[in-house]
This record gives sequence, C-alpha cells and structure tokens, in this order.
Amino acid sequence: MKKNTTIAPLLFVMAFVAFAIVLWLTTSGYPVAAAGDPIVVIVNAANPIDNLSVVELKKLFLSDRSRWDTGKAVAPVILTTGAPERTAFLKIVCNMNDADLGKYFLQAAFSGKSATPPKEVGSAAAVKSFVAGSAGAIGFVKGSDFHGDASDGSIKAVKVDGNASGDAGYKIRM
Amino acid sequence: MRNRYSIAIRNPFSSLVLCAGLVLVIPTQAQQSPTNQDQINQQLLERVRELEEEVSQLKSATSSAAPAPAPAPAVVPEAPAADEVPVVNEVAPRLHLNVFGDGGYGFYSHVPNSFDFGSLDLFMTAQLSHQVSALGEILFISQNDNSVGVDVERLFLRYRQSDYFTASLGRYHTWVGYYNTAFNKGEFLETTTDRPFVYAFDDSGGVLPMQEVGLNITGQIPSGKLGLNYVVEVGNGRAYGLNAEPAQNNQDANNSKSINGGLFMRPDAIPGLQLGFSLRHDNLTVPGPPVAETIATVHAVFVNSNYEILNEGVLVRHVEPNGPVFTTSAFYDQFSRRFGAFRPYFRYQYFNAPSNDPVYLYASPNEDVPLNITGFVGRLNGPSVGIRYDFTEHSALKLQYDRFSFRGLPSENGLTSQVAFMF
Repeated sequence: MKKNTTIAPLLFVMAFVAFAIVLWLTTSGYPVAAAGDPIVVIVNAANPIDNLSVVELKKLFLSDRSRWDTGKAVAPVILTTGAPERTAFLKIVCNMNDADLGKYFLQAAFSGKSATPPKEVGSAAAVKSFVAGSAGAIGFVKGSDFHGDASDGSIKAVKVDGNASGDAGYKIRM
Repeated sequence: MRNRYSIAIRNPFSSLVLCAGLVLVIPTQAQQSPTNQDQINQQLLERVRELEEEVSQLKSATSSAAPAPAPAPAVVPEAPAADEVPVVNEVAPRLHLNVFGDGGYGFYSHVPNSFDFGSLDLFMTAQLSHQVSALGEILFISQNDNSVGVDVERLFLRYRQSDYFTASLGRYHTWVGYYNTAFNKGEFLETTTDRPFVYAFDDSGGVLPMQEVGLNITGQIPSGKLGLNYVVEVGNGRAYGLNAEPAQNNQDANNSKSINGGLFMRPDAIPGLQLGFSLRHDNLTVPGPPVAETIATVHAVFVNSNYEILNEGVLVRHVEPNGPVFTTSAFYDQFSRRFGAFRPYFRYQYFNAPSNDPVYLYASPNEDVPLNITGFVGRLNGPSVGIRYDFTEHSALKLQYDRFSFRGLPSENGLTSQVAFMF
C-alpha cells in the first residue's frame, strides 16, 4: 500500500511534464498567417472601436466577451456554412471549422456557460445590413463586398492587430 | 468630375441658345448705329457662320464620344429577413432543445456481456431576456437492475449581469475539477465511452459531489491576457448513505452549507490552454460521527479542434472530530488527437481511497466500476485505449479497451463499444 502512495505523485508529475512537452509541440506555429484576399471586419459606424486583436475577435465571436466598452451588447453575425470567407475566418481567428464551431457552442451551453452563437445570415449584404442596424453588431465580409462608402450603409471597417485590410501585414485573408 | 462651366460650353444646345440671343440683339444694335449697317451685317453673318460651324463640330464630337455613365443606382435597403437562417434546435421562440442518446455493447471478465441502453438526455435552454436565461436537463438512464430511472439532472435560472458576474440558482453540476462541468452527461460530447472513475456521477456511486442545489456565481477577473476566471458555489452539499439521493434537493441534512471556490486561467498566448484549481469544504452528516470534508482539485488541459490533453488531480480529506484523517488521492491523464473523422485516445487513471474511510463506507454502489462490487474503496488504476469515429457530424462510434488493477482483487479487462448521438 505504501508503494502505491509513493508512485502516485510521481506519475502525476510525469504526466504534467509530458503535458508541457506535448503542449509546446502542438502550439508551435501560432498564429496562422494567410495570403489571399482580405476579409474585412466591420462594426456599426457608431461603435468607437477602431482596432481589435485576433484574440479579441475570437472572444467576441465565441461569446467570451458579451459587451463593448460602451456597454452595448456584442451581437456577432456570420455567414452560413459553406461561405469561403466564413471558413477562412473561423480557421484563422478561432482555429476551428464549421463542425468545431457548432460543437463549441453546444458544449458551452451544455456545460452551463452563458454563450450565444453568432447570428447566421445568408449573404454579405445581409451581414452589412445587420451590422448597420445594430449598434453592438460585428461581422465580416470579403474585401470585394466592402466598398467603404455610403453604399455599405452605416458600417465601418476596423483594423486587426493594427493593420487595415489593405496592409501587407493584415492576417485575416482567404 | 465635371463642373458647370464645362458642361455649358460643350453643350451644342447651349450654343444654339446663344445664337438665338444674338439674333434678337441684332435689330437693337442696327437701330443704334445706322451708318455702318452693311459692315455690321457682314460681321454678324460671319459670326453666325462661325457659330454654325462650332455647333456642327460639337455635334460630331458628342456623337463619337462614349456615352455618359449612368447615374449611380440608389441604395436600396436590404431585406435581411429573406437572408436570415433558421436557428438550429429552436423549437419555440425562446426554447432550444437538444436530445442526446447513447447505447452500446460491452463485456468484462466478471460480468455478463450485455447490450446497454445507456441514456436519453433532454437538454433545454431558453433565453428569457438579454441577461436572464434558464437551463433544464432531464435524464432517462438505465440502471443496474434494468429499470430506467428518471432524473432532473439540472434546473437553474441564470442572471448574467456582465462578463464579470453571472449568478445561477437551482440544481447544477458542481465546479469540482474540469471534467464535471466540461462534459456533464451526454456521452456524445465526451471522447471516451465513460467518465474518469474519480468523476463518476455521485448518483451512480461516484465519490465526489457532482451535483448540488444552491447558488453558483462565476465570471471573469479583469486580468488582461492572463484570462483569469473565478467560481464560487454555496449549496446544500452531498448526502451520503445507501440509497440516498446525493443532491439534497429539498432538505439539507444539517445547517452547514458546502462552499466551493475555484480559479482558472485561459491565457491569450496559448489558445486552448486552461489551468485551474478548486477547493471545497463541507460538513457531512453520516451514520457515524460528523465528518469535515475538504476536496482540492487541480487541472491543466489543452483542447483545440485537433488535440485534447486533459490532466487532473484530486485530493479528498475526511476528518472526524478529534479523530484520524482519511485521504483519498486520484488523477487521470487523457490524450487524443483527431485525424479527420477518427480520434484515437489514451487515458490512464489512478484512484486510491482508504479502505476504512468513514464516508465511502456508506456510499451508494458504484455502477461505473467494472467489477460488480458495491461500496468500492481501495485502489484502482490502469490504462484505457480507444478510438472514436464521427461518422456524421452528430453521431459517433467509440471502441474502448480497459485494463484495471485493483488492490486485493484480480485485474480486469474490458472492451466496450458505444454509439453516441445528438439531434
């Protein structure tokens, strides 16, 4: 019996060491950089935010952050499954695919966490319309779907990690 | 962009208007200077010819030029309703329903091989307002005596004031360790076919208080990139005793309330990593002398879409007044890696409880122990290997082999299969 109680802490420590090694191996390579057309992150024009980090974006879309600094409720909107910009955004920002996203919110709800999945709409125009109509909304569209003028409605693009969508260092690309 | 001046000069019709104006002016000027009438007429005729030539040039230039761009179309308001996508599992404007089910076939060395109904889990959530929500979960689960038990697994009302304060009142799963809140019931969400032994549900004979009636408060701690979170729970605690319902749903056995606190961090630098601990205290009313129980857990987990690495350690102390201390230690380590639809996994677990522990002696039979024994205390340890195959997005097949060693009992080999799904 004494032998077992001596081995147990040793095994546990060994497991944590192995955990650290595997963790180091599996997390090397972050963040993922892409090199295609930019995906523009948009918010309501009344939102004072001008810049967000990739980590902040992940928190906003995964319901880890529910309010803006202004106190407005965060209302993320996302295109439906199959849209290439959705696939790219989830991969780069959340390190997920569509199935992972569904499972994440299912597991979050199941574990008792207060998490609301993003609203899903069927077109880039609907994304812009939703963001224009909700003060706390945030979404993303392809660069070709964002004109930067009045035709987009009351929305604006925000920088990501200090880079505008036209900058070479912009990370969120298709 | 054109200006008004250039438009007037290049417009041939404007030139014609100018000509007409000149024609109207001619008589007036003739009356004012009659002595040079012929000369003036000649000059005017030349000017008219010049203007006619200019008009003809402008006409030809206009016809050969590209057509003027059409005016920009007016911005028509979108009709988002046509693009909105129905919310999955929304059965009413406020109610979401998910159903989990599982079943399988398993055989161990010392029990008959059997098909297993598993469980049917009705999981409901409702957003009552932006800040208030409700969660209910009803479980139908097969018992060792072949009956199907019905259990209100969870039922609570939750108020989310902000990211820093969320309070839930009702029956919930305790924040004792990581596994209990990350997976709960619903085998579809779990990688393995069963929970680690130390986190077996208390109403199935598990040693830890997994469910409780009380108040749960949780939230983030402003900590920047550290991502600190806290949990505080106050509840009735767990009841021990043969055939006793572990969660004291209606009447606490004593006035002492269980208190549980925990901290965990999710650093921004390593997405998917969570490190945390919890500490819980309760005074237990058992058939013998009252027992003070302290449960400490620590966990380090890393979960992303490809990797799942779970490590948890648990220490339980039972202290009788002026009496001896009984310490139970347990841990498990689990590693899995996804390859497409397949996810092989490995788990090693260890559990060691004193044979004379004054609390576990009175615990309900543990249905999750492979051996058909009751009131399990002692040592259990061993590996499990298996593979999970997600043959659709919402259904999975699992195959798992276990080998357990027990103190004072023969080792056990087991092979289980499980189909888990949700809809």
